[in-house]
Amino acid sequence: MSKANRRRRELRAAGLLIAPFLLVFTVFFLYPTYKVIALSFTDAPLIGEGTWIGLANYVKLFNDRLFYTSLWNNFYFVLLTVVPTTVIALLIALAVSKLKGRMQALVLTLFFLPYVLPVSVVTMIWTWMLDFQFGILQPLIAAVTGKPVPVFKNPYWVMPMIAVVTIWWTNGFNVLLLIAGLRNIPQDLYEAAALDGATSWQRFWRITWPLLWPITALVLTLQLILQLKLFDQVYLLSNGGPFNQSYVVLMQMYREAFQLNNGGYASAIAMVLFGIIVIVSVLQFQLLRIGARK
Amino acid sequence: MQDTGVHLRDVTKSFGAVDVIRGVDMDIPRGQFAVFVGPSGCGKSTLLRMIAGLEDTSDGQIAIGARDVTHEDPADRGVAMVFQSYALYPHLSVFENMAFSLRLAKRPRVEVDEKVRRAAGILKLSDHLDKKPAQLSGGQRQRVAIGRAIVRAPDVFLFDEPLSNLDAELRVQMRLELARLHKQLGATMIYVTHDQVEAMTLADTIFVLQGGHVQQHGAPLDLYDDPSNRFVAGFIGSPSMNFFEATVAGHTKDGITAQLAGQPDQSFDIPLRHRPEQGTVLVLGMRPEHLMVTAAGGMRVTVDVAEELGGVSYQHGTLEGGEAVIFQQTGARHGMHGTVQTVTPELARIFVFDKSGDRVR
Repeated sequence: MSKANRRRRELRAAGLLIAPFLLVFTVFFLYPTYKVIALSFTDAPLIGEGTWIGLANYVKLFNDRLFYTSLWNNFYFVLLTVVPTTVIALLIALAVSKLKGRMQALVLTLFFLPYVLPVSVVTMIWTWMLDFQFGILQPLIAAVTGKPVPVFKNPYWVMPMIAVVTIWWTNGFNVLLLIAGLRNIPQDLYEAAALDGATSWQRFWRITWPLLWPITALVLTLQLILQLKLFDQVYLLSNGGPFNQSYVVLMQMYREAFQLNNGGYASAIAMVLFGIIVIVSVLQFQLLRIGARK
Repeated sequence: MQDTGVHLRDVTKSFGAVDVIRGVDMDIPRGQFAVFVGPSGCGKSTLLRMIAGLEDTSDGQIAIGARDVTHEDPADRGVAMVFQSYALYPHLSVFENMAFSLRLAKRPRVEVDEKVRRAAGILKLSDHLDKKPAQLSGGQRQRVAIGRAIVRAPDVFLFDEPLSNLDAELRVQMRLELARLHKQLGATMIYVTHDQVEAMTLADTIFVLQGGHVQQHGAPLDLYDDPSNRFVAGFIGSPSMNFFEATVAGHTKDGITAQLAGQPDQSFDIPLRHRPEQGTVLVLGMRPEHLMVTAAGGMRVTVDVAEELGGVSYQHGTLEGGEAVIFQQTGARHGMHGTVQTVTPELARIFVFDKSGDRVR
């Protein structure tokens, strides 16, 4: 067979193999993305065509007080979740990795279980547990604050409690990633360090922490992206209230698109959030990499 | 208690119901190079790790110098260990790897610098101090691991199969370097290997381990010349000793006449002090280098494979009874495979073992 012939056959096979993905990607991602970008420059309703209005949606958005409230709430939520969940996951992973065999598998499963639940079930569980009148956690809250608190109707409690629910729900996955990372650190290194005279504290800070850092950085970045996209928990637990204290950017987008029928404006919100997530996560990942190199 | 070196008294180790080390006694004098050798699973690495303190000792006593260290922390035993995998800290430079223990001990900067540079000088690593382990070759990594041990100036160096990840050529080279290093430092060293060539070339004393027991210990050539059982005889020496079943056909003035089971027309007069009764079944051990090709009568070997190494060649074949035979030829180069050769052993160098494997002298 000639060289050209063989090359043609290889290309055909390659094309055949990537075609399904390319098709799905184009139809369900590339085209909708293009539509959202295009839509954000029009005054279109959710369904149907609109007229080109240039940057008017963006100008309106940057003058929208509610947008800044939402954005602030988003960053507040990130602050409440990203680092705490990583620290908690790390502590759990360190503890679980001390266990052996079946016991380790069992405990790991228990920690992973909430992650399997759909968000509606998660919020249902916590709504019950935190119910103002019957919630089994209310005595605990009463013991600390002196009286029961309707947490999802209290402007100070709402975001931290959504953060608690979110951490409980998603922590298992982070534990899993960190366990995998811990298992990748050879046992020899700990033995060598023990012979070198390292205490368990020193073994953690001088071996575990630096060698686990790539995984920790990954967890932090994934969490940042995930938590900036906060919507379901807020929608189901507090619906943005009270006094917009849990109103977040995606919530605003949802309202504009699906309740107020402002497709163009909602698209502009989506584009801005997308931009923020890209910038912040790239920035964070780069910062973490520099931190690791030092 | 003894004042220097490493001393084990009736040391045992079990993992659950499995006894891995079953009562080991040994004395390694200060400054000696001791080698633990044995097949995989014999417990040699476990024993080393017990001396290091990385494994608990179930029973017995381990002493380093005059100190009983049986239940001390690894760091307090005055030992340093070189791991098979090197166990270098991948995120630290060569310098920091070697300085690790000193940093933990919070030694002054000048002292750290001086000690690390001196060790690096000994090991020819001075040009690589800023590199990360991943940038080094296998041999260099090995040297860093040794350097990390040297910096700690331990009473005892422990090596756990340190050369088994290197290629053959580098292994020979590092072997020589280790021998030189031992002379230079004069410290007690304990070295674990499954490679009997490493054991023979490095050791002052070899401990042959099998099944959690020390089968025999002594200077390398003593083990070669005078193995105390069939296992040691088979393990020490390369290629390993030939074993043939035989029966005692009669007694001579100073020994026995043993008749080969695989070739009954052959019998040998072997000098022995303790003469087993006539008819006793024995095992005769003959080293490949002690079998001579002869034109006269002898053991007839059908050669099927010849390993020609240039200087010497090893002829592999079978006796008429089907028993495998290896014999060595020096200088001669003739294609022997497929032919039937006649060989005779040096009578004074036949080893006699009883059926349970113990040596009959």
